[in-house]
Amino acid sequence: MIEIENVSFSYANSEDGALSDVSFRVQKGEVVLLCGESGCGKTTITRLINGLIPHYYEGELTGSVRVGELDVTKAELYETARVVGSVFQNPRSQFFCVDTTSEIAFGCENMSLPEDEIRQRIAEAAEDLEVTTLLGRSIFKLSGGEKQRVACASVAAMRPEVLVLDEPTSNLDMVAIKKLRKILLLWKKQGRTIIIAEHRLHWLMDICDRVVYMRCGKVKADCRMQEFVLMGACRFKEMGLRPLYLENLAPRNSCRKEHGESILLSDFSFRYKQAKTLTLDIGGLALPKGGIIAVIGHNGAGKTTFARCLCGLEKSCKGVLKEGGSVQKARQRLKCCYMVMQDVNHQLFTETVLDEVLLSMRKPDEAAAEKILDSLDLLPVRKLHPMSLSGGQKQRVAIASAVASRRDIIIFDEPTSGLDLRHMQEVSENLKQLCGQERSLFIITHDLELIMECCTHILHLENGRVIGNYPLDFEGCKRLELLFGSASVNRGNALESPFENRLQNSGSFKICKHPKAVEKKYMHQNMAN
Amino acid sequence: MQWSILQTDVDARGLVLDPRTKLLLLITMAVFVLGGVGSAKLSFFNPVLCLVPFFLLLLSHRVKTAMVSLLLYILAYLIMLFVVPHTMGLINYLLLGTGVVVMRLLPGILTGMYVLSSTTVSEFTAAMRKIHVSEKLIIPLSVMFRFFPTVIDEYSSIKDAMCMRGVNFGGRNAGKALEYRLVPLMICSVKIGQELSAAALTRGLGGNVHRTNVCRIGFHITDTVVMALCAAPYVGLLLSWCGVL
Amino acid sequence: MNNKLNAKDLINVGIFTAIYFVLVFAFSMLGVIPIFMPLLCVVVPIIGGVPFMLFLTKVKKFGMILIMSLLTGLLMLLTGMGYFALIVSAVSGLIAEFVIRSGGYKSASKAILTSGIFSIWIWGNYILLFINREAYFATRQSFGQEYIDALTNLTPIWICPVLLVVAFVSGIIGGLFGRVLLKKHFIKAGIV
Repeated sequence: MIEIENVSFSYANSEDGALSDVSFRVQKGEVVLLCGESGCGKTTITRLINGLIPHYYEGELTGSVRVGELDVTKAELYETARVVGSVFQNPRSQFFCVDTTSEIAFGCENMSLPEDEIRQRIAEAAEDLEVTTLLGRSIFKLSGGEKQRVACASVAAMRPEVLVLDEPTSNLDMVAIKKLRKILLLWKKQGRTIIIAEHRLHWLMDICDRVVYMRCGKVKADCRMQEFVLMGACRFKEMGLRPLYLENLAPRNSCRKEHGESILLSDFSFRYKQAKTLTLDIGGLALPKGGIIAVIGHNGAGKTTFARCLCGLEKSCKGVLKEGGSVQKARQRLKCCYMVMQDVNHQLFTETVLDEVLLSMRKPDEAAAEKILDSLDLLPVRKLHPMSLSGGQKQRVAIASAVASRRDIIIFDEPTSGLDLRHMQEVSENLKQLCGQERSLFIITHDLELIMECCTHILHLENGRVIGNYPLDFEGCKRLELLFGSASVNRGNALESPFENRLQNSGSFKICKHPKAVEKKYMHQNMAN
Repeated sequence: MQWSILQTDVDARGLVLDPRTKLLLLITMAVFVLGGVGSAKLSFFNPVLCLVPFFLLLLSHRVKTAMVSLLLYILAYLIMLFVVPHTMGLINYLLLGTGVVVMRLLPGILTGMYVLSSTTVSEFTAAMRKIHVSEKLIIPLSVMFRFFPTVIDEYSSIKDAMCMRGVNFGGRNAGKALEYRLVPLMICSVKIGQELSAAALTRGLGGNVHRTNVCRIGFHITDTVVMALCAAPYVGLLLSWCGVL
Repeated sequence: MNNKLNAKDLINVGIFTAIYFVLVFAFSMLGVIPIFMPLLCVVVPIIGGVPFMLFLTKVKKFGMILIMSLLTGLLMLLTGMGYFALIVSAVSGLIAEFVIRSGGYKSASKAILTSGIFSIWIWGNYILLFINREAYFATRQSFGQEYIDALTNLTPIWICPVLLVVAFVSGIIGGLFGRVLLKKHFIKAGIV
């Protein structure tokens, strides 16, 4: 169905994501997972298949890409669109229309289908993908997961034979991922060919038939899913991939000494102007000072609202923060809390990285600023424009500004969405460094691995209320696993497979110890502390 | 009912008019209320037309707005009638200017608010297609309407970020504050725009084919009533030119 | 190179018109106090210069500026400000197209000039104060002759072309402002 032959590509204005002599074929009906570190080229491959390269993203391309009968590099994008449907990473920027029904109709309208047929297709797609309840609503009011499902419906209505998904779960919580799984399983049943580029692998284990692992623009491994699954956790780490199972993770930071002091929130409540009920209702809350607190909950549970209230951004929030003797209302909290937002681009204003850090200081002190930049490995780029940096660097600039502000409470909103293993670990290291005697960190996240890497405490919100407030010790870990584990697939019987020997002999992989053995090792470590 | 830039919840709208009727209404208001064409002899049309947006807003459940604007209009009229003749100098000019502007612009602006808030984007584009406006105008128009809330969202996040970092309009150099707001706004909007473009193109936008539209629009009795109301001043104008009136 | 406007260009026009209009609208709120209305002729083109100059870096074909101009004029009609802005914007947009094309879509000075010409659309909103003056004032007979005299004094006929020039000059200043930000930020950020 899809034939990529000897393709080499490099973007016109970037070095990342280039491809170097890539060839592989995908049969009709196969579901292929593309994985690898950031910048390995998996997104580039998805763009080759749907025609965005070379028609939208410019660069140098050699080799050929065929989808079915179509030579995608030569055909116009609107021709390719009939055969290849694409779902992208960011739910917010994918939709063209303002309401869901028009959005689902959009692709069909572009194909100039008669109106009655379009209506039929909308109904069909909505029923298949279970979005009928979302019809006729404003897209702006939907959650991220709902938006992604509408995007899938929009693509499904065009009935393409090939579907390409580029990190569709980056911003989604576990519930939304479950629903997306259902959609993919349906498409697989319908016999469509699916290519997914992803970091989070755990939800795809029983959907994908085949895994293609890439590094630095080359295909390094191409095997069946059964073989892939048997590679142990340490092998995965070597490859720079996020773990396949969410069960055998252990908290790495829980052995910090308890500080003893606490941050107290009392009578915290907040209501949006149009809302009839309280959006946030936290009577009293005690949290450990000096800890890294993970704020978890489904999308819409009120995590961001909580962060904004804590920060003092929501001026009408009632309630006070008691810390170290001082009592702070919303306005005062604005001066002692700092939030690193989910979209870092909203926070970078100035011309150079150094200016950015100086801006946060009450009294600009260049020497101190440079020291902070150095600790985050940003000194070489201090004269560059913040917006020209890579995503990870921008985030470090935002962290540098947070440090420079010398505020005691720093909140991070989804710092690792869409990041691969290495970058996630870098973020985790930065966070651990940041946390000190006086500073407390709050991290809003869906990323279980991040929580395990650096968090010391869990705050679980739902519907604006606190339903869990516990330290991340052994007990806490079990509770977490229950929460997150419900979405990932059971391992089943992880027996040694006959493929294993073949792979071992081929030299490219060494099958690591049995996953259960690895788990035991971590459990021992934990118990010892 | 909540105000939004564009109507997206199709139910509970109250009065439903075809977008073409609304366009005609806007033009009529522009000609006769704003422009004051032929107002000498047709002076009785003016107040009627001024009241039209008020009724439209009432019929679309926007009672509070209708009431407030009516009050404003009456207030301006009363000030013009009673207060202005007794004042002198600068205050006179100020009140006069304000009164004129309110009485002349307010009905038009209200009609505009009604039209923008009660029409869905698909209805609007469907109407434009029916009057054979080029796709080259319709596509940018749809994108534009879709992008307004996004720009506002981005702006609001940027304002929050500035608030948190203590950079505000009065705080430091005003020029800098402006720069700090505009620059991230441009950059973020353009980036979103690029992703939007890619997503639209991979769903087939840009073919040479004629795009169909799922939205159903058409004329109903209410449209006929409103259109007759709009036609009346034109007819009156014509008659006055012919010397009948 | 294909000179027809393709979907990517049209989407770009839509996006930049949205950004332009949101900024224009936000600053137009100043004009709610009618005294500041003429000030809008100064403020709006200056602020509008920023997105407009960024937009010009993406304009390489005929028609994009005209469409943007027409859409802005149409929005004026839809917000109840009348069709005068639409008529003016159609003409100014067309002239702007020829100007930018004469610079081969590359000249910086032509770009700034285009910004000035494009900004003339806002003058269209003020024409209504000047046309048909006698007929308008005549209806307000009930308010008295002093009223009519006072109004005529408030809006002398010579202000009309002055506002046109002010809009144009402010557009040029906006273009310069936009160009400064372009060099300082947008080019380095890689969105040009």
